[in-house]
Amino acid sequence: MSFFRYKRNLYPLFAVFSCLFILVFGFIMAKKIEFTYYLCGLFVWLILFGCAKACLKVLPIAVLIGGIFSCISYFSSGGDFNAALAMINRFGALFLALVPGMSVEPVAMTRNLSQIKTPRALTLGMLIVMSFIPVLKSEVRRVREAMKTRGAGSVMNPKIMYRAFLIPMVTRIVDISDTLALSIETRGFVLDGSAYTVYKKEPICMSDAVYIAGILAGAGLAVIL
Amino acid sequence: MNENKNSLTEEEIAINELVKESGKETGDIDSDKSDSKENDSMPKYSRRGGVFRKFKIKDIVFLAVITAMMLLTGSVMPLLIHIPVFGIIQLGLGIQFSLFPVVGLMKVRKPGSLLLMSLFSGVLLVFMFPPMFFCLAVCALVSEILVFIIFRGYDKDRACVLAGTLYMPLTLPFLYVYYNFLYTWTNQENEAVSQFVGSDPLPAILLSVAVLALCFAGSVLGMFISRELRKAGVLKK
Repeated sequence: MSFFRYKRNLYPLFAVFSCLFILVFGFIMAKKIEFTYYLCGLFVWLILFGCAKACLKVLPIAVLIGGIFSCISYFSSGGDFNAALAMINRFGALFLALVPGMSVEPVAMTRNLSQIKTPRALTLGMLIVMSFIPVLKSEVRRVREAMKTRGAGSVMNPKIMYRAFLIPMVTRIVDISDTLALSIETRGFVLDGSAYTVYKKEPICMSDAVYIAGILAGAGLAVIL
Repeated sequence: MNENKNSLTEEEIAINELVKESGKETGDIDSDKSDSKENDSMPKYSRRGGVFRKFKIKDIVFLAVITAMMLLTGSVMPLLIHIPVFGIIQLGLGIQFSLFPVVGLMKVRKPGSLLLMSLFSGVLLVFMFPPMFFCLAVCALVSEILVFIIFRGYDKDRACVLAGTLYMPLTLPFLYVYYNFLYTWTNQENEAVSQFVGSDPLPAILLSVAVLALCFAGSVLGMFISRELRKAGVLKK
């Protein structure tokens, strides 16, 4: 477990910090062309540090949505290129800020938060929130399929929305949470503040330090140049 | 036969005592007493252990799952944050961020529930739009304090509706302050004001009113859903 080694996964708290930094820096520097270069460099940097998959996932959506909004911005500002550039930069920063978060596993984040003695109620809740989005997505799909099968009608109708979508959905949420709570209690999870150990601690490596240093150095260069 | 009868009654007595004991331990529902004028059919939520009661695992889990649902339906947020119209984020998220919190509050009627939901949402909001996370946490705290001052907790449905109604609209002034603060770094304060509020403040005021109305509608809808589920016995489990 040497500090001087390359680790594929980012240190979760560094990922959060980098995300915050990219977003806020993007807000401040959006109108400058140097920030566009910074975003290009950041894209490559993120690929180098194990976020290639997330980068490739985000790229087409960023190009599509950023392109649409920058076109709107260009025409609404009477052909101002800077307005379009600012919009492209903002969306670029937004989507690149998502990348470190996407490449961090929920369980790694939970372990990391447990290491720094975050209350267990919070880490448990955060873990559930991060892991349950896909489950709930499939639940939404199931409820909508059930609506179609029954011929309930359009979900845009408020009455149908309430009776055939919201009520079954919330019922499912209650069922899921009851089962999950029971499962957690059965595994001996308690919230009484008793001592616990963290399985597989997240260590900080040289690669994490280089990752953060690179992002900060790039930002410095974008400001100076 | 008599002995059998006696043993049966002893068993029954023991079961009844166990049920009573478990009711005391959970301290959630006191079904012996009926509620005030507001809901005659609804169980009264006792305050054993004071106003501030400890959260149990099932509370945390339910709040987390309902927060996940809230975030899933509010996933349009990253697209709305760059549209330079004051209150557009709140208008897009008003229903989701009032309906689901009210459902959560009506199941877990403990002070701090709304704040917990905000903190749970932070794990994703930090990656989507960090200022919104900080705003929501502060607004949840303010809403909780207001509800605590007015209703002394979430025992009444009206308290849950008030918290749900105030939760999102309170972010409007916070975001305004945030944008102004951010743009001071680039010496464009006036631009920030004109970009997000415009020269004429009327649209901003109208949008704020619309957000408030939307959140109220969402909260009332959440209350109806919870009442219906409680009647059906789903929320009592």
